[in-house]
Amino acid sequence: MTATVPARPSPAPARGFDTDRLAVWGLAAAVVVPLLLFVALPLFAILRTSFITPEGDIGLANYAREFASPKFSRIVANSFAVSLTTTAITVVMAYLFAYALKRTAMPFKRTCGAIALLPLYAPSLVQALGILFLFGRNGIVNRTFDLDIDIYGFWGIVIADVLYSFPHAFLILSAALAVGDARLYESARMLGAGSARIFRTITLPSTRFGILSAIFVVFTIVITDFGNPMVIGADYTVLATEIYNQVSGQGRMELGAVIGVVLLVPAAIAVIVERMIMRGNQASITDGSQPLSIGRNARRDRVALAYAAVVCLAIASIVAIVFVASFVTLWPYNMHLSFRHYRFEVQNGIAPLWTSVVVSLMAAVVGVVATVSAACVSRWLKPLHAQALYFMSVLPAAVPGMVLGLGYILVFNDPANPLEFLYGTLAILAICNVYHYHAQGYLIASTSVGQVSRVFDETSTCLGAGMLRTLRSVILPIVAPSIASIAVFYFVRSMVTLSAVIFLVTPATQLAAVSVLLLDDSGNQNQAAAFSVCIMLIVAAALGLFHGLAGLRARRRAQRPAG
Amino acid sequence: MTKRNAGWRLLCAVALLLSCTAARAGEITVYTALEEDDARVYLASFAKAKPDIKVNLLRLSTGDLVARILAEKANPRHDVVWGTALTQLNDPRLLEMAEPYRPAGIDSVKSAFKDPANRWFATTGYFAGFCVNTEELRKRNLPMPTSWQDLLNPVYKGQIVMPNAASSGTGYLQIVSLLQMKGEEKGWQFLKDLDRNMAQYIKSGSRPCKMAATGEYAIGLSFAFSGVKQIMEGYPIKLVIPSEGAGYEIEVSMLMKSSRNKADAKQFLDWLLTLDAAKLYGERSEMSSVPGAKPTEAVLKAGLPADVSTVLFKQMDFEASAKNKDRIVAEWKQKIER
Repeated sequence: MTATVPARPSPAPARGFDTDRLAVWGLAAAVVVPLLLFVALPLFAILRTSFITPEGDIGLANYAREFASPKFSRIVANSFAVSLTTTAITVVMAYLFAYALKRTAMPFKRTCGAIALLPLYAPSLVQALGILFLFGRNGIVNRTFDLDIDIYGFWGIVIADVLYSFPHAFLILSAALAVGDARLYESARMLGAGSARIFRTITLPSTRFGILSAIFVVFTIVITDFGNPMVIGADYTVLATEIYNQVSGQGRMELGAVIGVVLLVPAAIAVIVERMIMRGNQASITDGSQPLSIGRNARRDRVALAYAAVVCLAIASIVAIVFVASFVTLWPYNMHLSFRHYRFEVQNGIAPLWTSVVVSLMAAVVGVVATVSAACVSRWLKPLHAQALYFMSVLPAAVPGMVLGLGYILVFNDPANPLEFLYGTLAILAICNVYHYHAQGYLIASTSVGQVSRVFDETSTCLGAGMLRTLRSVILPIVAPSIASIAVFYFVRSMVTLSAVIFLVTPATQLAAVSVLLLDDSGNQNQAAAFSVCIMLIVAAALGLFHGLAGLRARRRAQRPAG
Repeated sequence: MTKRNAGWRLLCAVALLLSCTAARAGEITVYTALEEDDARVYLASFAKAKPDIKVNLLRLSTGDLVARILAEKANPRHDVVWGTALTQLNDPRLLEMAEPYRPAGIDSVKSAFKDPANRWFATTGYFAGFCVNTEELRKRNLPMPTSWQDLLNPVYKGQIVMPNAASSGTGYLQIVSLLQMKGEEKGWQFLKDLDRNMAQYIKSGSRPCKMAATGEYAIGLSFAFSGVKQIMEGYPIKLVIPSEGAGYEIEVSMLMKSSRNKADAKQFLDWLLTLDAAKLYGERSEMSSVPGAKPTEAVLKAGLPADVSTVLFKQMDFEASAKNKDRIVAEWKQKIER
């Protein structure tokens, strides 16, 4: 994979310049047009639909009708109550967890860190499913201890969403807590500050950006999550479930659009504020900083390990109970194990699992091409244009999946649209996933492309290579490892996501995560658990393959003489 | 070079997948409100009879299915509506989407089960039933209910679940039969009283029974056959048919005018009236219009009466329950839904 640029007969410089410009503009168009088509247009369609009544009048009538209904204000209040409570709990828990892993010398850090990420690899509603097996009215806990805990409703959603959003908060906070300036801590200690005071005056302030960012990320995840409230919410309706019921159930697009816009506002504010914060977050670590060194402190480390163990136990027990429940013959009356729940009595049986794999592979390929091209194009564009492209590329982060999915129906299930043929295909599902997660893929790609020194561009050009050749022979080989991680990211997200694609699946293009929801909806919890297990196994296999290959590559590198 | 080839092959594979589109000959799309597991068994048998026809199935709760069909009316995606409550399909907006068709064997179906204008015919039906978890009753020391009236007993507070009348055909059937039985004024009062004992309203009509089966709640109001199924599975369930008479509903099928594959759609509708299908109705439904559908031993043992006509609320007025559906559902949402 060494990046050699073979010499070739020098072309006329003017011609090289022209093809380069053409290439950049061609590539820019190839990046921008799909972004307009698959992000901007659906959003516009949502906005437009929300302003048009079923009778065809234009105005605020849809909004007026929704906001006038007491039920609607109750649902909005429910959504905020759940989201704020969950955010508070998750961020505090994740902060302490990240602190234990990054700022103490407790053992088993790697194991705990890995367990904390488990919820990322399963559809969101698996959390609620597991909680019901454990804490449902006839769940293990109530049966064993003869209790009468009723978990349905507010607290059920909160607990499920805390578990679901935990890894996101943990990743952000552990990045924030991983760095720190040892000089500050040393001076504080020499001045006689106790640990509590140091925590309050140094640790907390220096991680404030991480905390704020975690707050907004968790809030967005929770207010737009609909899998968990569907399963465990009972009659406690939130915005995300209402949009599903109104659109998928009752076919009321205009009301769905209104709720979509209402959902878009807090999510968009959260993401914008988070981006602004992240931009401001630069100066705390300078080149003079000393990396932290963490000494042993037996008591502190024991407490940290105990806390981390409790959190890991909670997360792992959900996955474990779902796994076990998928094999139980007649929950909870006959606990003998059997495979009967793996004979899926759901639309198209096990087929949706393979459909999901195909769609996820497509999303991985298309996602890599889309995000890496966008990152490369940004590199070559003028700063102003590059900024516009950046904005469009990260815009999808602010769009809840359900809103995007709804926008896709409005745009692509319209017989007047020349792209209508996409509706009902696997392609639209893959495309929807590509643009739903475009921001994350793009950020990985552009960080990686940004690391390639511009000197390579110049050298390459001097040697007579065009831009495309530079891209192929210089940039792509260097960013190859991050290309692989973007592909894995897309694959995993596409396997487990529910919110956008729920509106786009058709009987012929059913997806695995949707099957889990349908199975649960019709009361087949154990089959839903079995289907979730299948999804998790495939995700685990993909991750295993990725890490295996990455390890192999690293070892081969190490064996090869440097050069 | 090999690497490059692999890249091309991948690209071609993606292009091929991208070009896959939904509608093809030998393939029909069927919308149904039948239970998922029943539909699967029926379709497996159909696949044996007609291996060349692939059926894509969308299963939704009745209310949701009808709303979806209406929402897609400008560009319908399905060829056939299968096994969906007559009360909900008997709506001029939906009937005008149907193409009159007389499937083979329609003459042997009794006249109450088919449309004089040939737009629909029924194969099966269902009636209200309570799934009562005997272990939960024992554990909580609760009496066995035998009627709707019994359910008002405050001892059942928080122990009962029933389907949501807006999304579930069973849910609508239950409330509309009570309203017809008691008259609207007393009927609504009854539903309000019942609401005090209700733990949850559930989107699907069979799920309340499944929740009772796993002991999540002691009593699940559902339709009779979902109780039969849970009993056959081995759950500690007793099927109670309300002594006031059980409201019932018939499940009808229709061909869509907009179908792009009418030939295959008709073959599917014909199959619904064959003896093969009728045998399955005897195993998997509480009432059928097709001659040859006899309830099996196992079904009778689970508590289904041999002659269902003895337990039905016979004054059920389908005409009225179809006509008033929108109003009653709206009223239910406003008065009862949480």
